[in-house]
Amino acid sequence: MAVRSRTDTFVLLVDPIQCDGYGHCAELAPELVHLDEWGYPILATTPTPLAARAVRESARLAVRDCPRRALRVERHPGAPVSSRSGRRSE
Amino acid sequence: MTGLTSPYLWYTTRATGLVALALLTVMVCLGVLVANRAGGARVGRFELAQIHRAVSAITVAFLAIHVVTTVADSFVATGPLSIVVPLTSPYRRVGVGLGALALDLLGTVWLSSLLQARLSYGAWRAIHWLGWLCYPSALVHALATGTDARHGVGLAVVVASLASVAGAALWRVTARPDRAAGRTAFSPPSRPEPRRPGEPPEVGSRTRG
Repeated sequence: MAVRSRTDTFVLLVDPIQCDGYGHCAELAPELVHLDEWGYPILATTPTPLAARAVRESARLAVRDCPRRALRVERHPGAPVSSRSGRRSE
Repeated sequence: MTGLTSPYLWYTTRATGLVALALLTVMVCLGVLVANRAGGARVGRFELAQIHRAVSAITVAFLAIHVVTTVADSFVATGPLSIVVPLTSPYRRVGVGLGALALDLLGTVWLSSLLQARLSYGAWRAIHWLGWLCYPSALVHALATGTDARHGVGLAVVVASLASVAGAALWRVTARPDRAAGRTAFSPPSRPEPRRPGEPPEVGSRTRG
């Protein structure tokens, strides 16, 4: 299993040919998807940290429930983190 | 099959058959609502899709009971083979055969949806269209073999079912938006402009209107 760094990020991507503007994604992942006036999605382009659980879950649901299966999540490795850096001193 | 002579199996077959027909009707109508991009104001479009999925699962469950009790029951002679292979039933050959056909079609559509992630979109979509063959064969099966389908509550269910699905089919053909049906009330308010990939991230120094 790949080690998931705290700084790993993801972006939600749409296949614009496959997309038919059903609009389910904007309802399921409002944090990442806005619809243009014709109902096609405009996706957030700034990567979201994987640590943002709620947003990640929204993205997962949007990918799963896209009626045209036009969405996917792409992961990007973040900056390498040294083994102790995440810990808080007591 | 062993001689299960209790009438309750037979009653269960009849009752679940009627309920399965009603559920199949609701399932088809919900599918049409999703395809025509209904919802978005009071109910979310994704919610209609979820209900379509949930009702489908319940339909499959009722159909399973309907089929298992039919085979287990010895009141009419239908073997396990005639449940899936059309026209092999000694009892009401054509009627039961249509039921088998409807079961096969629904099973195919259901399996394809379970395996959706492994299928191409085009293949899944093509298989999903078989639903429009499944419904009429199920309806004719109900009329041909259904003990209760020709009078009383049974007839009411059959008539209401046919009217709903015919209406849904007509609406599907005539009112289908050929492109996106626009924003939904559930979608978040529009923003001025999304950030471009090349653009530096917003920082505090920026003035905001």
